[in-house]
Amino acid sequence: MSIIQQHTSATLSDAWRTINIDALTEDSSLNFDTSTLHPPQPEISEAEVRQLAGQVRQLLRGGDPEGALRGCLETPVYNGEDAAKDAHMQTIIEVLQSIKASDMSPLLKSIYGTEGGSECLDVLMKYIYKGMAAVHPGNASRSPTKDASQGFSQVGGRPGANEPATAAMSVLLSWHEKVVEVAGLGCIGRTMTDCRRV
Amino acid sequence: MSPPEVHHLFHNPIVDHSFSADQSTLAVTRETTVELYSKVGDAFKLKDELKGHDKTVTSVDIAPQSGRIVTCSQDRNALVWEPSPTGYKPTLVLLRINRAATFVRWSPSETKFAVGSGDRVIAVCYFEEENDWWVSKHLKKPIRSTITSVAWHPNSVLLAAGSTDAHARVLSSFIKGVDPRPPAGVWGERLPFNTVCGEYLNNSAGWVHSVAFSPSGDSLAFAAHDSSITVVYPTGPDQPPRAVVTISSQMLPFKSLLWSAEDEIIAAGYDCEAFRFQGSEAGWQLTGTIESKGRPGLEQREESALNMFRQMDLKGKAKDDTQLKTVHQNTVTMIRPYETSGDRVTKFSSSGVDGRVVIWSA
Amino acid sequence: MSQSLRPYLQCVRSSLTAALTLSNFASQTAERHNVPEIEAQSSPEVLLTPLTIARNENERVLIEPSINSVRISIKIKQADEIEHILVHKFTRFLTQRAESFFILRRKPIKGYDITFLITNFHTEEMLKHKLVDFIIQFMEEVDKEISEMKLFFD
Repeated sequence: MSIIQQHTSATLSDAWRTINIDALTEDSSLNFDTSTLHPPQPEISEAEVRQLAGQVRQLLRGGDPEGALRGCLETPVYNGEDAAKDAHMQTIIEVLQSIKASDMSPLLKSIYGTEGGSECLDVLMKYIYKGMAAVHPGNASRSPTKDASQGFSQVGGRPGANEPATAAMSVLLSWHEKVVEVAGLGCIGRTMTDCRRV
Repeated sequence: MSPPEVHHLFHNPIVDHSFSADQSTLAVTRETTVELYSKVGDAFKLKDELKGHDKTVTSVDIAPQSGRIVTCSQDRNALVWEPSPTGYKPTLVLLRINRAATFVRWSPSETKFAVGSGDRVIAVCYFEEENDWWVSKHLKKPIRSTITSVAWHPNSVLLAAGSTDAHARVLSSFIKGVDPRPPAGVWGERLPFNTVCGEYLNNSAGWVHSVAFSPSGDSLAFAAHDSSITVVYPTGPDQPPRAVVTISSQMLPFKSLLWSAEDEIIAAGYDCEAFRFQGSEAGWQLTGTIESKGRPGLEQREESALNMFRQMDLKGKAKDDTQLKTVHQNTVTMIRPYETSGDRVTKFSSSGVDGRVVIWSA
Repeated sequence: MSQSLRPYLQCVRSSLTAALTLSNFASQTAERHNVPEIEAQSSPEVLLTPLTIARNENERVLIEPSINSVRISIKIKQADEIEHILVHKFTRFLTQRAESFFILRRKPIKGYDITFLITNFHTEEMLKHKLVDFIIQFMEEVDKEISEMKLFFD
């Protein structure tokens, strides 16, 4: 090829300006593979998650919320399809919602005090954040006109507190507070550093 | 237990500090310079400034025997400052790195020092007589990210390094002609340069902030950003360690740690105070804070009940305070042994982002 | 004060306190540079898992932590068209004066109304818990402000 480049319409465009050449260098820091930061995790299928959910519900019905919660926290879905991950999150949220506010702290303390309990609460923290991230605008059941009339009378008027998303969030928020009380801020830190994501 | 000795030097972060062997000189980093303080009565007075770097100085270390000071900086350089009657004379070290130099420590033998870098290498530096120059050899493999800290084994050959790739490693820095052949130990028998004697990673990852060998050199501790401390007990060459104990703490991450004895570790970091860990191969525990609570002079301000409840309700917090209850008012960046008796550290010093250097009874 | 505001702010407070554990970190890609890694996105290992805190589908906070900087993005509640316009005007007013707010980012992250960028230089100069207080206070004030403006507007 001659040194003087042939100017075609392709080379004259400025698309090349947006190419990140660092990414093309193999040993560039950009190409750090974060999956090497944890050992390989077993893959969990949706069917297994559903089966576990069945067992967990049974424990709940049998009046063993601690066993139910532990059951789902000991098998987090780190490696699996999105459907399996979401199904497991649903199971955990179901368990969280079925536990009375007054039972939260004693239950968490009891889990934290056992072997591997700290790890369990780290997993719970990951699911709490995942649960909050899963709420998207758009599934809101509000209509602008209705809210306009509300916002009038109520300073800081908000969508009604009985909306499903708000209620679900308030459960997660109170669990969050209780987990921090028991497992400390270190627990939030580990949610951020851990590359095993749920 | 005597109260901590607090020296508030200035209003800039101190990322590293080092005392001379007789504790009369204190070197602290301050932006692009290193300031030398000498003890006058109970206070430290500024004596000299080492100006030679043009970017943030990241680390400083005074060799206890020779009194040489080594500094390194984000400008990619390391300088050795030779004491002379007319002041300190800098010599540039041939580091051959293209990114920031992040951490430097003299080996116990003082014939070498190791410089961690953002270039994914550790430069092991030694003096070459015939060229009259400090040259370096690179420890490269298997480092994959910035080196955050290094620590020497008492034998001056093994080097522990923590990195932002979340691994703590033990590597050999044996240099022919400089080091005597080390005796075989738990970390390995033959130790040619760049032998990887161990590589450790926590479950919840998090970059490693600090590494340290135990006084005997037979175990390794490291603190990571997942608020954990991990202690490794190796078995022997090419065998998995016989115990790896990780304590996932409730605290914020620890930036620095030291062994005060074979069964005790002190760590400090983002909680602005130091904590004590005790244990053995069978397990480790966080046993408490070093600071005694209820020091005088830091009484809580009285607040009206209305204001208190308002704060609790509005902001979700219990009290409004500008001053922290700890001695350090910002992150503790480095802790180092200050005084030892036998094989126990009886006093240690800490430096912080708040510009304070504090000497504690351990 | 709405009942669910306190746990929401408490959650933001603890998450922020845990995320604001920053170090001075020089760039691994550009020589002699020191840039907020969360903006440069050039070293994946120094970026942490982002956290979302939600009160409902309209009020969210996104915390994107990294080794030397944290991005905090806030979605302010907008119940109707008027509030939407007011929030837009209000955040525009602020971001145009970003330099006097130190930690304000000129452009919010997509899907959010306002973004703060806190670096290790901020946590070195200012008290960390005061920075957290500032964000929390901002979150409650902005709600009030918008509601008041709306009353005025009506």
